[in-house]
Amino acid sequence: MTPPRGEVLQGTLDLIVLKTLDALGPLHGYGIAQRIQQVSEDLLKLNQGTLYPALLRLEQRGWITSKWGVSDNNRKAKYYSLTRSGRKQLAAEAESWERMAGIIARLLGAEGA
Amino acid sequence: MSRMRMFGSRLVGFFRKLSSDKDLDAEVRSHLQLLTEENIRRGMSLDEARSAARREFGGVEQTKELYREQSGLPFIDALLQDTRFAVRMLAKKPGFALVAILTLAVGIGATSAVFSVVDRILFRSLPYPREDRLVSFGLLAPIESHDFMLGSSYVDFRKQPGPFEAITSMAPGSIDCDVTEQSPVRLSCALVEQTFLPTLGVTPILGRNFTKDEDRPSVPRVALLSYSLWRSRYGGDPGICRKTIFLDGSATQIVGVLPANFEMPTLGPADILLPLALDEQQQRQSQPGRVLRTFARLKPGIDVPRAIAGLQPFFEQALGGAPPELRKEIRLSVQALRDRQVQDARLASWLLLSSVIAFLLVACTNVANLLLARATGRQRELAVRAALGASRSRLVRQTVTESLLLGVLGGALGCAMAQVLLRLLVSIAPEGIPRLEQARLDLRVVAFTFGVALISAAFFGLAPALQHPAPELLIGREVRATVRNFMRQMLVSAQIAISLILLAGAGLLLRSLWNLENTPLGMQTENVLTEAISLGQYRYPKVEQQLVFFAELEARLKRLPGMISVALSDSLPPSGQMRSTIFAAIEVAGRPHASEGTGGAVGWRAITPEYFSALGIPIIQGRGFQKTDRLPTENTIILSETLARKLFPNADPTGQQLRLFRMQSPWRTVVGVAADVKNDGLLANADPEFYLPWKNDPVEFPSAAHVIVRTRMNPRAVAAWVRSEVAELDPTVPVTVETMRQRVGKLADRPRFNAVLLSLFAAMGVLLAAIGMYGVVGFLVAQQTREIGVRMALGASPAGILKMILASVARWTFSGAAMGLLGAWLSARLLESLLFQVRAHDPVLLGLAVLVLLAVAFVAAWIPARRAMRVDPMVALRYE
Repeated sequence: MTPPRGEVLQGTLDLIVLKTLDALGPLHGYGIAQRIQQVSEDLLKLNQGTLYPALLRLEQRGWITSKWGVSDNNRKAKYYSLTRSGRKQLAAEAESWERMAGIIARLLGAEGA
Repeated sequence: MSRMRMFGSRLVGFFRKLSSDKDLDAEVRSHLQLLTEENIRRGMSLDEARSAARREFGGVEQTKELYREQSGLPFIDALLQDTRFAVRMLAKKPGFALVAILTLAVGIGATSAVFSVVDRILFRSLPYPREDRLVSFGLLAPIESHDFMLGSSYVDFRKQPGPFEAITSMAPGSIDCDVTEQSPVRLSCALVEQTFLPTLGVTPILGRNFTKDEDRPSVPRVALLSYSLWRSRYGGDPGICRKTIFLDGSATQIVGVLPANFEMPTLGPADILLPLALDEQQQRQSQPGRVLRTFARLKPGIDVPRAIAGLQPFFEQALGGAPPELRKEIRLSVQALRDRQVQDARLASWLLLSSVIAFLLVACTNVANLLLARATGRQRELAVRAALGASRSRLVRQTVTESLLLGVLGGALGCAMAQVLLRLLVSIAPEGIPRLEQARLDLRVVAFTFGVALISAAFFGLAPALQHPAPELLIGREVRATVRNFMRQMLVSAQIAISLILLAGAGLLLRSLWNLENTPLGMQTENVLTEAISLGQYRYPKVEQQLVFFAELEARLKRLPGMISVALSDSLPPSGQMRSTIFAAIEVAGRPHASEGTGGAVGWRAITPEYFSALGIPIIQGRGFQKTDRLPTENTIILSETLARKLFPNADPTGQQLRLFRMQSPWRTVVGVAADVKNDGLLANADPEFYLPWKNDPVEFPSAAHVIVRTRMNPRAVAAWVRSEVAELDPTVPVTVETMRQRVGKLADRPRFNAVLLSLFAAMGVLLAAIGMYGVVGFLVAQQTREIGVRMALGASPAGILKMILASVARWTFSGAAMGLLGAWLSARLLESLLFQVRAHDPVLLGLAVLVLLAVAFVAAWIPARRAMRVDPMVALRYE
């Protein structure tokens, strides 16, 4: 039996997208979606359509930029890449996420003991 | 920072909506394509792959919607959409939109314009710091319209000013003075005490005030310039304070410049302030001394009644020597400076303000009524929208947007109208309304009236959206909104009530104006031309020169063709401003002098013999003046009828001997009695008066002169000749030529202004009430079409239907009229002092106003009600 697929936590999608772009460099929407599915080993339930408003929001904040380009199989696609301030933001958010995750883990651990 | 960038790119997105939509489309399409290809690779069929891709992607439209919300400014998007829709809705019913917008515009425009005028008079603070502490004080006597003090008592009083922190005085009025250097010019000079500026709290913007030493008699003269004189004549010269100018030929050192917003507390003109230079010694000796206008600043914590109480002992002392009868007529007065300035303009201002506010109420009611009517008609539309999933808040937003659009359009038009109306008001306003020239369109007022209109529009526009639309509406059945109908009828009743009050007030003022314009003057004004001429000190320093000028002018005018009579006089009826004395000062030969108080004012004029024929004043007894009466040896006098009766109740006045002013003046013989003439304005009863012959005697020469010409020709044509005759004698003399009719007409200017404005508001109010009535009845008929059809099918006659509708109209019309009658009755009291020979509660006028209003209301009701009579039962039953 496959474990139930988790919803993407509120606010984590931004971090996931930023991290993906940081790891793989410029990527189109489809590529980002594929990568997320791949990494989460299909445990994460992602409505791929929700990626686009999120990408727009990140772009409006100035953390990523977009450019029309041509994909591997000769298709026109919009490529997103991380900006300098996006990289900074990723570092900050990753740190705060780790801290938060640590706290949660400690909390749960304390509960278990 | 990041938030600002967010807003910035959203703003950009807002304008780039179309291209970004296309971008997204392309992106989504390629994404789906890739997903599909991937699925095919995994071994799905094309159809399977496609639907799986769609599943994985999620809702395409939802994505686009979310994306759009993220990319633009959704609030503004919705607003734009609502506005577009509102514009379409309004355009669909242009009649409704036009009436609503015009009503709002007229209401906002009229209110803003009138308020901008009266605001200066009633509310705006005077240009002095802590102006609420400033008062005008002194004695009030029957012979003077303003309070005054006499120099002999003032010089003592100023040493111990009792309840006042500071007091000051000035000479009444301003004097003409000429700057006699380079290009000479006639200016107004005011004589003020050294304490004048400090008491008012005014500091010169340049230089300084006078010193105590400069405010003494026989020291070198100093002067303060008004800001406008400093700018216009001296080009704003910063070094002006060291300069010396020549005033009426004498050297005067300029010591300071007044602030730009400075104005005299009397509102009189003043280009230059000069020291009053009161001679204390001389004032004390020469009882009663100079007449002074006195102003003061109250001590903190002291109000006007307490100041009056505090002044009482001093007042008793100052009048100690006067006979008790005289003291009865004189009273002490302390009044706020603003009250002194506005005097009778105050009541008229309140009248205008309240009538325009009443009018605004009628206008708002009308708009409310229109919106309610339309709202009822749109219930079905709202029900459909609600059924299709529009949320309540969306419906509210939609209806409010429509109302606000009306409000904004009406308001914008109203602002333009206010500007035009204000200009109109200022141009038709009579002279003597204080501060009229300062009236500007007041933005606060515009904002306020705008707000009132918007709120009333929004409020009444909201009503339909707030209640949940009944589902029955969807199948086309009307739900009778009885509550709302009741509200609409109340609104029309209120309109009728307010209009009636306005109409009754306008009726009273118009009637009073008619009385005023037809009041007998006691003289004939047809074909009479008058010229007011004043000769400057500079060109005519000697009285003899002035006399020569007038003698020459008289002779020249007599030679003109078409002249019947040419006369000179120092003043002209019917305006006041003649020279006056008191009755007690006239001494009759052979009669002991009775000291019964002042006996009231007695006016007098110096005239040439043709005065009576020029003005058509009949001589009742004896004769008029003759040429010989102008000889220095002759001492004759002519009395007015009232004065003659007062002096000689039982005897023939002609031949009696009189002496004037209880001084060394000669005994004069009464040679005639002239009929009474209105001589103190149109409102007041005629004062008793007497006439002395105009002699070529420097001692008795009056300061100003009027030439009166009666002609056989059109006086307007003669005016040009008269002007050229004056110009030939001396082209620099300013002369005001007016026909007698114009002069008299001017006196009724102010009542006419009030009456015209109030009538205008009343007429517009009645018109709006009629529109409201028309709308409500038309709506009722439309709503009851089915009921009417049933009634007619059951045998009701058209006349019966009409009666049924008019009966319901009558109910709220009469209730409105009753309220209005009560209101008119109560408010008439306030008008009382503006009325001339009309009773405030004139039953005929009030009845007439009611009749007019009822007639208008029924005509407005009858037109749509007739439609009910023509209802075809078959059509009506299938209606809806």
